[in-house]
Amino acid sequence: MGAIAYLYKRTLINRIKMALRKPGTYFLLLVLLFYLFALPASLKVMVEQAGIDSSGGMAAVLTVLAFWMIPANLTAYAKRKGLVYRNSDVHFLFPSPVRPKQVLIYAHLKTLFMQILLNLFAVVYGNVLFHVEGWRLAVYFIFSIFIENLLEGGIMLLLYGSERIREKQRGLVTKFAYILVVILLLMGILTYLQEGLSMRSVSHFLHSDMIQMVPLVGWYIAVVHLLFAGATAVNMAGTICYGLLFAAVLTAAWRMKCNGAYYEDAIKFAEDYEEVLENRRQGNAARRLGKKQKFSKASVRWRGHGANALFYRQLLEYKKSRYFIFDINTIAAVLTGAGISYLYCSEGGFGDLENFRVFIMPVVAAYMIFIFTGFSGKWARELKSPYTYLLPDTPFRKLIAATMMQHVQSLINGCLMVIPYAFITGLSPLEALLTILFYVAMSANKLYSLAVAQVVAGSSLGNTGRQLIQMLVMSIAIFVAVMGAMLGMAAGNVLMALGIMNLFLILFTVIYMVIAALNFYNIET
Amino acid sequence: MLEVIHLTKKYGKTLAADDVGFTVPDGKIGILLGPNGAGKSTVIKSIAGLLRFKGAVRIQGQDSRTMEAKKCFAYVPELPYMYEALTVREHIEFISRAYGISISEEEVSALFGRFELSDKQEKLGNELSKGMMQKVSICCALITRPKVILLDEPMVGLDPAAIKELKAQILELKSQGCTVLISTHMLEMVKELWDVTFVMDKGHILGTYAKEALAHEDLEELYFSVTGQAERPAQNGR
Repeated sequence: MGAIAYLYKRTLINRIKMALRKPGTYFLLLVLLFYLFALPASLKVMVEQAGIDSSGGMAAVLTVLAFWMIPANLTAYAKRKGLVYRNSDVHFLFPSPVRPKQVLIYAHLKTLFMQILLNLFAVVYGNVLFHVEGWRLAVYFIFSIFIENLLEGGIMLLLYGSERIREKQRGLVTKFAYILVVILLLMGILTYLQEGLSMRSVSHFLHSDMIQMVPLVGWYIAVVHLLFAGATAVNMAGTICYGLLFAAVLTAAWRMKCNGAYYEDAIKFAEDYEEVLENRRQGNAARRLGKKQKFSKASVRWRGHGANALFYRQLLEYKKSRYFIFDINTIAAVLTGAGISYLYCSEGGFGDLENFRVFIMPVVAAYMIFIFTGFSGKWARELKSPYTYLLPDTPFRKLIAATMMQHVQSLINGCLMVIPYAFITGLSPLEALLTILFYVAMSANKLYSLAVAQVVAGSSLGNTGRQLIQMLVMSIAIFVAVMGAMLGMAAGNVLMALGIMNLFLILFTVIYMVIAALNFYNIET
Repeated sequence: MLEVIHLTKKYGKTLAADDVGFTVPDGKIGILLGPNGAGKSTVIKSIAGLLRFKGAVRIQGQDSRTMEAKKCFAYVPELPYMYEALTVREHIEFISRAYGISISEEEVSALFGRFELSDKQEKLGNELSKGMMQKVSICCALITRPKVILLDEPMVGLDPAAIKELKAQILELKSQGCTVLISTHMLEMVKELWDVTFVMDKGHILGTYAKEALAHEDLEELYFSVTGQAERPAQNGR
């Protein structure tokens, strides 16, 4: 067995062994099984209502995926950014006498497991949703895993590894990918102008002959149509073009010389990738692959001493950030507020739920904060920084200073979410205020529940385990708040229900805060 | 033998290495010195084949990018990065397969024994401390029986026993005719090892000095006299 095969095999086996020791894996498996079997069953009615529950429907879905995937992959490989190498590859693999082409194939192989999984999904969904015959799905599976994978690998080798293609020529490939997208868009616009916007016109567009004549993307779509929608002259011609392209690409990739000039770009990407991973581990979701975080010049007037330094340092960081304190939570808050308000206007109220109008936004807010549990913000980084513990101040003051900015952030997000909604749905100022307070308390609950989860999980469960416990801890607080609301409703007063709900949530948040402070104290001592 | 010939490397408009050239003969230990930002890392990464550059690097007379050259070349980077899901023993197995060499159990045990890794063989890469990672990195380089070895700050993170062992290993390699190039700031650590020193600054080689030609001059004195760094704090202080 060669070095690459050995590395791949051992890494896979050891990763599976490590994963089986983590409780989070079993949870993820359950989620995966749900998506694999339960979701297609629930989507079945929707697909039937849309009238796409046939092999043709499957071809249409795969066509949409091809529009997106093929140009995106082409662009990534042309920019030498599509393959993931880790710093360990740079350390051991790049300087070793393993042929650079094999090193490229190794990176491509890393995605094989995921590809098999996605194609497995396609097979199950194809059978349950689109009633495609087993033999067609089997052929599609083999085509995707072997032929399509080999073609993609060949294109990747040529674009990523070739030392004869210059930077400018690779730029042309990127432009070619964009042109493909523009052609497909123009074809879509043409269909829209001719037939208007309807399910029928979309279907015509996705099955049209002209799409199957577009190089590369279209030829793949032609193969898919030949397989799922039956033979036509156009899709057979497209399939032949696909076959010729396949032979040409593989021959060229086989004959291509590659001495590892791409290593330099791969190293840059590896460093970037490691940095993104590290940022995500520390709760900074803003750092994205290929996009270095830019900081502008800013200053703050430092006031006070001790724990205050944490607050002013965070303020300085936010002032230097491009979007100040606004992040994915802000977008989610604005979109949610606007979305529900739109729904209220378009449906002319909440129907049967009209009497529970004041509770709709808190429920949605709790759900939003709950699903964004993984984005812990700066607080998670403060917990990991040794300087936080070295600061000469009390743990409680440090806790307040380190989380203050995030409370301000959630107050602004809460206002952005609730005020337009309150305006449109006619909430009273007091109801709006209590809803904003609920949002702030819920956000604070998320912050402190992280520390509670750390106390419970320690370092034995890893990030996923800790996150699951954090969600459980938050669920307890939400449950108690709901009980509070029910108590208020039993007294027959909606405002009182909202008040008690807030009170109970704040109470639990304060308890979590005290636990967080004590945990801080324990870690320090 | 390691030959660096007219090596030039630009990052955009910044010239990181400008026409760098030097040779380390067989059985000699070369030291690459220079202040931070001198271009040492660029030269080292270019020799290891990690960067594109103009000029040439020859390992045992062959272009450094050829498989033949890579087979007799070993590299210990400044920061060690392990495969998180491979054990220490599996790292050695992987390297032996990559270099196409067969290693006996006795050889591995002896090497692990020298670097106190015997009880760490089944540890995964993500379970090791930085010092342990550095030891594994050194073992992976030594196990390939290199004819040319490049060590970038190899003593950083090592405990005194490991530093002593590494020095002994380097002298053994030298006695076996291996070419050694070390890039370091720890002058004290290499003063008894070096045969030839290359001092770099601002992307240039300022001078090449053979030990036998400088019988009485200390490596530290030589470094400061060439780079002029010793005078700077005094000038700033005035």
